[in-house]
Amino acid sequence: MLAVDLAGETIRALNGSMVAYDGQMTFKRQGMTGGEGLRGALKRRIAGEGMTLMEITGQGTVFLASEATEVTLVPLNGETLFVESESLLALDGRLQTGVQFTGLRGMGTGQGLATTKVEGQGMVAILSDGPAIALEVTPGTPLCVDPHAYVGHRGQLQQDVVTDVNWRTVLGQGSGESVQFRYQGQGLVYVQPAERGGGILEI
Amino acid sequence: MPGYTSINPKMLQVPVGPGQEIYSKRGAMLAYTGRVNFAPTATAGQGLGQTLGRAMAGERTVMMHVTGHGSAMFGHGGLHVQVIDLAGDTLYVEADRLLVYDASLQAGTMFMGEQGGVGGVIRGAVSGQGLFTTTLTGHGACAVLSHGGVMELPITPQRPVHVDPQAYVAHRGQVQNKLTTAMGLRDLVGRGSGEGFQLQLSGQGVVYVQASERKI
Repeated sequence: MLAVDLAGETIRALNGSMVAYDGQMTFKRQGMTGGEGLRGALKRRIAGEGMTLMEITGQGTVFLASEATEVTLVPLNGETLFVESESLLALDGRLQTGVQFTGLRGMGTGQGLATTKVEGQGMVAILSDGPAIALEVTPGTPLCVDPHAYVGHRGQLQQDVVTDVNWRTVLGQGSGESVQFRYQGQGLVYVQPAERGGGILEI
Repeated sequence: MPGYTSINPKMLQVPVGPGQEIYSKRGAMLAYTGRVNFAPTATAGQGLGQTLGRAMAGERTVMMHVTGHGSAMFGHGGLHVQVIDLAGDTLYVEADRLLVYDASLQAGTMFMGEQGGVGGVIRGAVSGQGLFTTTLTGHGACAVLSHGGVMELPITPQRPVHVDPQAYVAHRGQVQNKLTTAMGLRDLVGRGSGEGFQLQLSGQGVVYVQASERKI
């Protein structure tokens, strides 16, 4: 659960995620474009990276939660965070959101062809099934993660897909870990202790 | 009073002995040590009239009367368990959220209409809580179930609290509640913020809110 103190500011949060509040609050669903402009909205629609946020404005404290999942706070200081739109709980009103195409990676994991990027200065709250951990990536020590356990990443990272598909996998005798994402560069990768289903990588 | 011990956030251990009898949700026992008996009970410490009222109200969950000598462990559906101690005050909670309560507590059923008349009835219907709710009064402890753990929010006359009806678990104290709507044109055309109805709780007391919008 996440508590946000507001003194006249605006935050954006997942539609329907408010569980309680005190003080004066107004909830307004965001327009079609969600502050991303007409082009951004169109991109989002094409990419299938659906995201429904509402604007919360007021004085007091608002409590947000979704399906009893864990909440991790990520402070952004001019950096860019890449996260799945379904893992986004709330973000500062000043942050910019957009869509980033990921190509093959997203298709394989059933998460669509695109991911959401958040940039600017402020706080982002992300959801994970179980407490998320941040794993550091430095030049020279690349990190491989299970695509189904990946939540988001930030920093200067290049990603590619590593496969370990052999004749056993084809016969249906795979280890269940045949495909991984590999991150290289400098940054942080957020991983959850649970694996989402779906996608063609269930081998 | 029996000392309720949390084994982990989802499991509870309760000692049972002479003078330390409890009622528990049927089927929620996980394990026990010693000589412990579980007897289904229709009345759950209430009178026959009350039981009939509950049956008609649909606010009926079959409880087990746990007696004997030893200790029993409880849990249900991987849900979080919260222990609430009562010192003479009254807790209002849904019957199916009650996991365990001391036999020394007085259980009853309250008609929603008693709190706010017609408004209370509408509130129960809209929030899916039904027309009746369960009350526990006296000195003792009880344990309630929630999806994702609960948070205690104090309510003071200067500081009313608004709660999503689906995230509401229980409340205690001198609290008036009413359903408020923030319905606008956007909700009618299907572009609402998902927060159309809220429970407004005012007065003096505590409300328990869970980290999810799922009913049990």
